[in-house]
Amino acid sequence: MNLKATGVVVRTGSLVLADVPEVRIEAGRALSIVGESGSGKSVLAHALMGTLPPELAAIGSLTIGDESFDLADRDGRRKLWGREVALLPQEPALALDPTMRVRAQVAEGAPGWSPRSVSAPRAADHRLGQVGLADAGGAYPHTLSGGMAQRVAYAAATIGGARLLILDEPSKGLDLASVDQLADLLLSHLDEGGLLLTITHDLRLARRLGGEVMVMREAAVVESGPAEEVLTTPTGDYTRRLLAAEPSRWDHPWMRSQAPDGSELLVGASGLAKAYAHGPVFEGLDLEIRTGERVAITGPSGAGKTTLGNALLGLTRLDAGSVTYGEGAGRGRLQKLYQDPALSFPQQVSLEKALGDVMRRHGVGEVEVRASLERLGLPYEILRRRPGQVSGGELQRIAVVRAMLPRPALVFADEATSRLDLVTQEQTVDALMSEIAESGAALLLVTHDTDLSAAVADREIAL
Amino acid sequence: MSMLMLEQTLGSRPQRSWTRVAAVGGLVLIAAFALVGPLVLPDPASQDLARYLQPPSLSDPLGTDDYGRSVASRVAHATRVSLLLALVCVATALVLGCVAGVASAWFGGWVDALLRSVSEAFVAVPALLVVLLVSALAAPGSMVALYVGLALVQWVEFFRVVRARSALVLGSPAVEAAGLLQLGWTHVVRRHLWPALRPLLVTLASLGTVTSILAMSTLGFVKVGLQPPRAELGLMITESFPFYDAAPWMPLAPVGVLFLLTVCLLGLRSPEEGR
Repeated sequence: MNLKATGVVVRTGSLVLADVPEVRIEAGRALSIVGESGSGKSVLAHALMGTLPPELAAIGSLTIGDESFDLADRDGRRKLWGREVALLPQEPALALDPTMRVRAQVAEGAPGWSPRSVSAPRAADHRLGQVGLADAGGAYPHTLSGGMAQRVAYAAATIGGARLLILDEPSKGLDLASVDQLADLLLSHLDEGGLLLTITHDLRLARRLGGEVMVMREAAVVESGPAEEVLTTPTGDYTRRLLAAEPSRWDHPWMRSQAPDGSELLVGASGLAKAYAHGPVFEGLDLEIRTGERVAITGPSGAGKTTLGNALLGLTRLDAGSVTYGEGAGRGRLQKLYQDPALSFPQQVSLEKALGDVMRRHGVGEVEVRASLERLGLPYEILRRRPGQVSGGELQRIAVVRAMLPRPALVFADEATSRLDLVTQEQTVDALMSEIAESGAALLLVTHDTDLSAAVADREIAL
Repeated sequence: MSMLMLEQTLGSRPQRSWTRVAAVGGLVLIAAFALVGPLVLPDPASQDLARYLQPPSLSDPLGTDDYGRSVASRVAHATRVSLLLALVCVATALVLGCVAGVASAWFGGWVDALLRSVSEAFVAVPALLVVLLVSALAAPGSMVALYVGLALVQWVEFFRVVRARSALVLGSPAVEAAGLLQLGWTHVVRRHLWPALRPLLVTLASLGTVTSILAMSTLGFVKVGLQPPRAELGLMITESFPFYDAAPWMPLAPVGVLFLLTVCLLGLRSPEEGR
């Protein structure tokens, strides 16, 4: 069974969101689509699956095995869902029903499921065992880590025996070990003769899966070919830029190999301990950050990285231990960048008003804000919009501008770029680090990406 | 592009709601009638027993009652009393509930515990009973007792909703960031709390006004609210009962005003609560 789609065009009104002349997927050979956010990757996948929102119109034809479908017809492919074609959505932790136990949730997709069926839960347990979660059947989704939730969603999506699997950004927000486990599952799906279409901006995952790669930009495919060729010796300019955006290949003026000597203590912590209901997160932790130092906290999801960072900024109550601040770390000199910048701005007022309050409070003029926005490649007019009307990368850069207004001594970046694609991540980190380097502030970086921490930090604390 | 972002950019904003425009128009008409009517219509208390239970005519568009008083004039006065009293009650309840709700969410701890237990004590007692209890303490037909009673009943609703929403807003990363930026409480109230609470308050206030007006006329109807000879919508309905066969038009005017007021105020509810 192979898949072939020709002449796929997705548009909304007159705006073309994806225009791909041909997509081919062979059994046992992965196809990965990489590219920046907004390049039409997800739209293409949903067009093939038949799950586009009604405002979007698709044309083109699709052949799966020896059956043909018209992409404009939404309902024709419905009978394939679950049995032939399955989609693993973004952020699986949100896709799972929080009120249902894992086993029941996975069992719903089993062939021949009925409310009283005995075989479906058994099939679910078997499937969960195959993804390495034999004991998780009785658990509720909120008790699982991100990686485990991802594997549960994978089990639920594939239990129906679907041979074509479509994954939308499967590695978003996952730590390296979880991505590796997921990649193993996907490779075994390919070994069994399955078809795999992965939408991702994680080039490591694309390399691991091998097979074919398509690079998309601005609704079109700019380069395609075997993964080992495209992802090592690209021919297109954009693909080269994409590869250069991987943290391990960065080269920026603010990068340095060593922290400056002879600086004084900024934040010191001793004997920190914090426990949540399911057990201790960390105990007896000592740590100090000196002025101008760049420190990274890394570790898998759920290891307490963010909790530790918040504790150092005095945002979380601790069970034990104490945090002391040096002279430089007075009020307003510790700032934070959030994982989801849209939530860190007042939701219902324009960015101009939100920043205006900060400017007045800290005596910063409009000229300086204009200049720093310009340095980070943003027009001043963008501030007229509300947080929800600006893209994630732009908003995070505006958050950088805002955090630098009080001339902070320490900036705590909490997974600040983990939701961004590679090129936007590089742009955002570059923006942040140029400002940090210029002001001489210290940086506390929380990330699950060890390449990023190696590129940015002087020192790494692994939890 | 993630589908979520796509839907956000494509999602059309709700269009200007025509029900709201119609509701505002209706309310303006009723308010104009209540405010201008008493100035131009004859004295609602002037009796003329020679014009006993007259049907609607040009000089008395809604007819006269059993004392020969002009029904139109009495309805105008009654509407003015109902509207003003309801507005004052809701304004008092809104201020009280908002301040208490925000304080409860902001300070937490014993402030929250105290305010919550007081509010729950009010929830435990049926609303009309609270009004009756307060009325019983004051002189019969006292307007102040009615005002205090209704305001006491209503602040709880404002308190509970404001407290729940404020707790969400105050716990958000945006307010945490504002704290790190040293922006102070005025910024938090102006940019975070007020924009989130405003649509809720519009809805609650319009519902609260309906509740007040209906509670007042209910009390008038069972003769424990305002006392005759004052014109009051509920009282006017009761007073017209003995003459239902001779003058069936008499209760129509107060019932119509109550109905229109309720529908218009319900139509005023904010359509975009979530965003």
